[in-house]
Amino acid sequence: MSTISAEILPVEVEASDEVSRLRSLWNVMRRKPLGMASALLLLVLVFTAIFADVLAPYDPLEARPEIRLQAPSRAHPFGTDDIGRDVLSRVVYGSRISLWVGLLAVGIGTFAGMIIGLACGYWEGRLDIILQRVMDAIQAIPGLVLALAIVSVLKPSTTNAMLAIAMVIIPGNSRIVRGAVLSAKQNRYVEAAQALGCRQLKIVLTHILPNVTAPILVIASIWLGNAILIEASLSFLGLGTQPPIPSWGLMLSSTGRAFMEQAPWLAIFPGLAISLAVFGFNLFGDTLRDAWDPKLRRRG
Amino acid sequence: MYKYVLRRLLLAIPVLLLSSMIVFGLMRVMPGDALIALMGESGNVNAKELAKLRKDLGLDKPYYEQYGLWLWQMVSFNPGHSIFTNEPIAVSLKKSIPVTLELATLAMILGLLIAIPIGVLSATRQDTPSDYAGRVVAVTGLSMPDFWLGTLVITFAAIWFHWIPPIGYASFWESPWQNLQQFMLPAAVLGFRLASATMRMTRSTVLEVLREDYVRTAWAKGLAGRIVVYKHALKNALIPVVTIVGGQMGTLLAGTVIVETIFALPGMGRLTVEAIFYRDYPVVQTNVMLVAATLVSLNLIVDMTYAWLDPRIRY
Repeated sequence: MSTISAEILPVEVEASDEVSRLRSLWNVMRRKPLGMASALLLLVLVFTAIFADVLAPYDPLEARPEIRLQAPSRAHPFGTDDIGRDVLSRVVYGSRISLWVGLLAVGIGTFAGMIIGLACGYWEGRLDIILQRVMDAIQAIPGLVLALAIVSVLKPSTTNAMLAIAMVIIPGNSRIVRGAVLSAKQNRYVEAAQALGCRQLKIVLTHILPNVTAPILVIASIWLGNAILIEASLSFLGLGTQPPIPSWGLMLSSTGRAFMEQAPWLAIFPGLAISLAVFGFNLFGDTLRDAWDPKLRRRG
Repeated sequence: MYKYVLRRLLLAIPVLLLSSMIVFGLMRVMPGDALIALMGESGNVNAKELAKLRKDLGLDKPYYEQYGLWLWQMVSFNPGHSIFTNEPIAVSLKKSIPVTLELATLAMILGLLIAIPIGVLSATRQDTPSDYAGRVVAVTGLSMPDFWLGTLVITFAAIWFHWIPPIGYASFWESPWQNLQQFMLPAAVLGFRLASATMRMTRSTVLEVLREDYVRTAWAKGLAGRIVVYKHALKNALIPVVTIVGGQMGTLLAGTVIVETIFALPGMGRLTVEAIFYRDYPVVQTNVMLVAATLVSLNLIVDMTYAWLDPRIRY
């Protein structure tokens, strides 16, 4: 009988947790208009990325040299670039690259960080000491520099930039998850499950994991902004997305800088898009943190 | 205190060793041989030449031997040659380190000069227009990528003032004026980004401290506002700010990579980016390791400053 209750319990906890989490997020958003604004901004970003085909007025790759370097006008609200491509369409399509890289990099980094954090926090001991020192060592290298080093060995491309960013994310994530696991382990029901002879993996997955999802999601949302920023930086340096694919960072470096005096709009709009996306994710991350895990404010 | 310092020093060594293994491993284990890529790009893959180059660079030795050799080179400040320019890496570092050091120091000074007064002002005038303005500046700084800010600064300086930073690097001792002209804008761009986080931290810690009993006592004694804020409150409020500033060292070092590239400053960041383009892996691994070592040492110094400022902290 007790085994049955041990199996049923987490399901109940999870379901009620989900509702209360959404409710507390909604409450915080109602109290903080900036939180709501950031959520709207992100919705617009996601909507733009999904419906880029419909929203972009022109083909982002179509070059029309006869209208090169045109200032913003009704036909081309963000102007045209050095080979006559529509900047608005490129910015709209660029949102796909940024979101895609951000989501996948953060997804991979968070998942790997979570596994390491769960293993370190639950089993502790030698494994924990060794893995945490490795994480320290990775963190000793600044994120962008590590991403640069990784991309230098692989070839510069969107996929490799994404993998490099995922690597940068792992150590910080593993540490946060480890801390959350260490405190979740103190709960009576974990002790009870251990006493009942539950399999270790099962305890980790069904009793501990639901307790650490909040910090994981909060950190992931904050990291999304950073991931977009690192991708843009790598592409800006020519080590991320390669031409002619429209990426915000690349647009700034390839045409934005070369024609900055004649056509400042080439530098203004992609940069504005990056800033708004990063701003949105940072602010939304703060809102999630306030709603779900105010303790993180001190920890991270 | 000495025990604490010694312990922290001893803990830093394994971290650095592991970092060096990661950097070394990264350059060796990843798919794609840098040399083949290098020679392939130059268009002449000759097996004989490749073998000779491999031998010259010590790449034919087992990995542990290569690692040991590299470690020894790093410790003895003689990190070998660039495979692209053939220049000793120590020589190019000797030229580029002062540039990055000057940029980082100026950026840090500018960052603190912007952040602390605005942070204090925001806190002492909480919820007034000047507070809002300060907070908007801080949030903007945190979201604006430094490469965008840098590009905009150069663009609008050229459009509005018809001014572009002088080309061709001049060291401070050769030509102080030209040097300052070259460093002013990049340091301001980098400093602004650093200032944003520090500004927010200063504001919140000053707000916290202003509510403490001893500050109330200082007011009650009839001390002037400036003395209460700057002498009594700020001194204690700055302790967490030191941590934030310390935590920004990584951002600062990464920022130099971008800013040096935009403003064409021949520092370590630009050297690294160029080395990456040419797949000059001895330069890349040396520079990345040097950055890691610098970061670990700076963090150590920050921790010690923290322990010195707040004697309650001992780990």
